Amino acid sequence: MPEIIEDRKIYTLLEVSQGIQATIARKFPEAYWIKAEMNKLGFYAQSGHCFPELVEKKDGKIIARLDAFIWKTDYLNINKNFKTVLNDELKDGIKILFLAKVEYTPDYGLKLRILDIDPAFTLGDFERERQETIKRLQQEGIFNRNKSLEFPMLPKRIAIISDMDSRGYQDFINVFDAAKESWGYNFFHMLFTASLQGDKALATIPMQLDRILRVKDHFDIVAIIRGGGGELTFACYNNYELSKKIANYPLPVVTGIGHVTNMTVVDMVANQSAITPTKLAEFFIQRFHNFSVPVQEAEVSIKEQARRSVADAKSKFDAEVKLFRSVTTNMLLKNNNAVRENSQSVIRHSQFIFTSAKKTILQSAQNIRKDTLSHLKQLNLLVQNYIPRINNGNKIIIKEKKSELTGIEKNISNMNPKNVMKRGYSISLLNGKAVTNFNELKKGDELRTLLYEGNVVSTVNSISKPSEQ
Amino acid sequence: MNEQLSYTDAFEELQTIVTEIEQGEISVDELSEKVKRASFLIKICKSKLTTTEEDVNKILKELDG
Repeated sequence: MPEIIEDRKIYTLLEVSQGIQATIARKFPEAYWIKAEMNKLGFYAQSGHCFPELVEKKDGKIIARLDAFIWKTDYLNINKNFKTVLNDELKDGIKILFLAKVEYTPDYGLKLRILDIDPAFTLGDFERERQETIKRLQQEGIFNRNKSLEFPMLPKRIAIISDMDSRGYQDFINVFDAAKESWGYNFFHMLFTASLQGDKALATIPMQLDRILRVKDHFDIVAIIRGGGGELTFACYNNYELSKKIANYPLPVVTGIGHVTNMTVVDMVANQSAITPTKLAEFFIQRFHNFSVPVQEAEVSIKEQARRSVADAKSKFDAEVKLFRSVTTNMLLKNNNAVRENSQSVIRHSQFIFTSAKKTILQSAQNIRKDTLSHLKQLNLLVQNYIPRINNGNKIIIKEKKSELTGIEKNISNMNPKNVMKRGYSISLLNGKAVTNFNELKKGDELRTLLYEGNVVSTVNSISKPSEQ
Repeated sequence: MNEQLSYTDAFEELQTIVTEIEQGEISVDELSEKVKRASFLIKICKSKLTTTEEDVNKILKELDG
């Protein structure tokens, strides 16, 4: 009972608490179905009890908060149901519909005692959030934005958002290590550590995406990697804000976050997604193969084709040479034969011509000798015949000519001017020349007159024409 | 070898040369030049597969800076 001190009624804490306890017990007599977010599960392995922290949020702000507890036996039941329905254990960071009694004890205060949790509600809540996120991203027209980024031909520089301790990360890296060993493929990857589930994931993954953005020129691709896990751990990957960030991300984002049933929205908006990190890494390797194999084939093909081209050209050339040789050989042979035939023919013909010419010449020579001999004989005969006749003729001619000459001699003697002048004829000379005509003279000319004995010089006194005599 | 070719360009040019050679579009005169170019491209492509120029420390410096 409260004590009264100086007119004041003073209660002990226990008295107030007991009052609250009674009121609450009266006001909340039974168990109720309540929905809330379970921020923290608060499982204590030693005792097997859980002390969850329950909140209700509106626009991201906590508008109600209550602590709760689950006794070990209830927890085991609930967990069994979750494993059956969700393939996962009860975890924090999920929305739950639970049956609880409001309990208040003076020593522990107000707490909800959770008796049961309905896993179907949690599942439905995921699905609802998933559908809502999909719908919003589609309405905003950004759902396919990251998908429409061209996936690099060689995704060799990878920013990995994961956790060093995650098995998925190790699986992912192992595939690359093996690829390097087997084919020499060299991936550059850098880990950007983030939580991979729950609200922490929703805080750290976007934070790392922002960091990568600052060095995005160093990377071809961002890979969000985590190992498998129950359905509950995927809840954050249906989150609108995270999904939107990935859809809008300027680098292609790929996911290997492992999922059992439905794809998360993050998987759906990502450029590529694989069921497991190993599969995702293998997808990368395949890309390298897709690049490497044609390069190797090109190497072989170019070598072969080049060799073939050269061989073709060579054999073509060889054929030409062969043809040329055979044509020229044929021509030479043909010409050789022709030359030989012609030369033989020339020899034959010339021999023939020589022979016949020689024959003709010999024949002619004989004929000439024969003919000249007979001709000479005839001439000789003729000459012999003429000799006596010439001798006789000469004597007669000489006698005739002798008498002829004697007559002529007589005449000539009669004609001698001396003899004429002896008979009184003279010759008049003018300037040494005999004058025979009167018109050769003029009066005064000096005439020399030759006489049989001596000369007379006279001058012309008159001239008379013959008719005047 | 100073030419800066992206692996996409190198790859595509290589494929073009292969097609040309396979279709016999290249004369023996050009062949040597093309083969030289192709082997250069193959070298680039192979080195793209097996090397990386990125440096974690450099990226970290950029992140912190």
